[in-house]
Amino acid sequence: MLLKGAHGFDPAPFDKISYDLCQRRKDVVILSADLSKYCQVIRVKNELPEQHLDVGMAEQNLLAVAAGVARSGLIPVATCFACYITRRAYDQMMICMGTGSGPGTNREIGPTNIAIGFTPGIANPARIHHQAAEDLGMVRAIPNATAIDPMDSTDFRAALDAAVDQPGLTYIRGHRGDTPRLLDSREFSFEIGKTYPLRKGQGIGIIATGLGTQWALEASELLSEQEVEHSLLHVPTIKPVNQDEIVDFAFAHNQVVTVENHQIVTGLGSLVAEIISDVGSGPRVKRFGLPNRWAPGGTMPYIRAQLGLDAKTLANDIAECIR
Amino acid sequence: MRKGRRIIDLEIMAARIRRHVLEICRQRGGYAAQGVALADIAACLYFDELRPDNEGWYLDRFVLSNGHDAIMTYAALAESGHYTVEELRTYNADGTKVDQSPIEGQLGFEITAGSLGQGPSQAAGLAWGLRQQGMDQRVYCLFSDGELQEGNVWEGAMFAAHQKLDNLCFIVDNNDMQASGHAADVMGVEPVDEKFTAFGFRTRRISGTDMAELLDTFEEARNTKGKPFVMICDTRLWDGIDCLQKALPMAHYTAQSAVDWDKGIKEIEMTLTRLEAKRDE
Repeated sequence: MLLKGAHGFDPAPFDKISYDLCQRRKDVVILSADLSKYCQVIRVKNELPEQHLDVGMAEQNLLAVAAGVARSGLIPVATCFACYITRRAYDQMMICMGTGSGPGTNREIGPTNIAIGFTPGIANPARIHHQAAEDLGMVRAIPNATAIDPMDSTDFRAALDAAVDQPGLTYIRGHRGDTPRLLDSREFSFEIGKTYPLRKGQGIGIIATGLGTQWALEASELLSEQEVEHSLLHVPTIKPVNQDEIVDFAFAHNQVVTVENHQIVTGLGSLVAEIISDVGSGPRVKRFGLPNRWAPGGTMPYIRAQLGLDAKTLANDIAECIR
Repeated sequence: MRKGRRIIDLEIMAARIRRHVLEICRQRGGYAAQGVALADIAACLYFDELRPDNEGWYLDRFVLSNGHDAIMTYAALAESGHYTVEELRTYNADGTKVDQSPIEGQLGFEITAGSLGQGPSQAAGLAWGLRQQGMDQRVYCLFSDGELQEGNVWEGAMFAAHQKLDNLCFIVDNNDMQASGHAADVMGVEPVDEKFTAFGFRTRRISGTDMAELLDTFEEARNTKGKPFVMICDTRLWDGIDCLQKALPMAHYTAQSAVDWDKGIKEIEMTLTRLEAKRDE
């Protein structure tokens, strides 16, 4: 299985991921908007300064400059907090980075434009303004875009490696600080759009993404202890999604639940509900994630507990679905 | 003498571009007044300043920020043979491939320019990327005074100056006209030159319609080292066609029925005849 290898923690995953990428690909430029330290872009900035560009505290500039860099033949990786890189500069993401490639534009294959949003959802302790609970939904709405919410540092690294070879706009939710390494890198191979079964069972089918997959794994442990039959599917790519894999998984279960570090409106839960309703006569879908109201701030355990997303409450609520 | 010849040739080119603008917009209307006013800049850019590559295109890069000025580029590229007049006559028609405000990747257009104020940052990013790769290509970006009301323009200007992008030349179409009236009334942007100077640019303010002055300014831009250059062009709508300027001084968008196109074309034909006679003297 994908989780059988030794687990551990990466204290600053993007520092190493970005450094390794820039060592391997001299055409990659990491862009910052005064948050290089807070997105953990340290070694690239210090040791490969020709591959780092700070545009100042100006997110519209970040994405527009990045799109210009892309047209020079280089590959821009714009980094910022998820809230700013999407909300604050959505038009630049859509128009500057997102209209140069794919069906409906003037080119089937255009320049690569990558944006990484760190501390998404409740991964940021500062409530409301720093919490991007809607970023995936925003990017999902952009035609031809790719949106990825990796579950751990292995997934994150693989997603960025894939994005570098992907034409058009790719948005990735980044991990910062102590980040678990859960996937077995020898068994796991990332493909855009692919879904990954992490636990196989019957009854309840849990579909999760990003940090939500970590929460779902914690809940899964408790469900197993309680002998509640369930499966767990990790869906890192929110767009373009592999509908057939989601449908096959969903219809093999009596009840589907989704878990995400994102509003249950417009995110993974919405996506899964849309797919299942398009097919019709499917299992009921219960969505767990951030509600469509302002979430509290504070430490992650505190916020999770407040929102009923701590492992115990989540496991109980999931089990409750079939009682 | 050679310079005099170069000027008259470009003036003739500008008149031809003006004629294309009228011929294209007379079909269904369009941003004719801007296209006409920018014809001298277009002639200078496409037939003198932008260096050709070996593949029938340009080595230097032109970034149009305000999509509605695309008519200027279309008209110039009709003259260079990159578009046919038949293609351009579909401008503003349903199903046309000639978007009134084009999408990235269309011949002549580096960016999707309809969302205003996004060109300068993208041009600056392009200039930075080219310099980073040791390329000597220059980047030109045209935007309007109305766009100066967008914060993103000044973010891009700050970045360009901070990075000392001397391969970058901004061209401001400072025509004092935006969608709902004079820029001075809607949201004053002056003093444009002093603002850019304060941001760290080498700045020059010109009419935008005097060919000798334009050539001189582009030369100054090329010779400027260590900082980006901006030319602020005080154009007025319909510059170069007096009868239309008199009739429609406030035409941000020109409806097909609003203009006596024949009259405008007649005036431009007379201008062309006069310039060609001068050239042949």
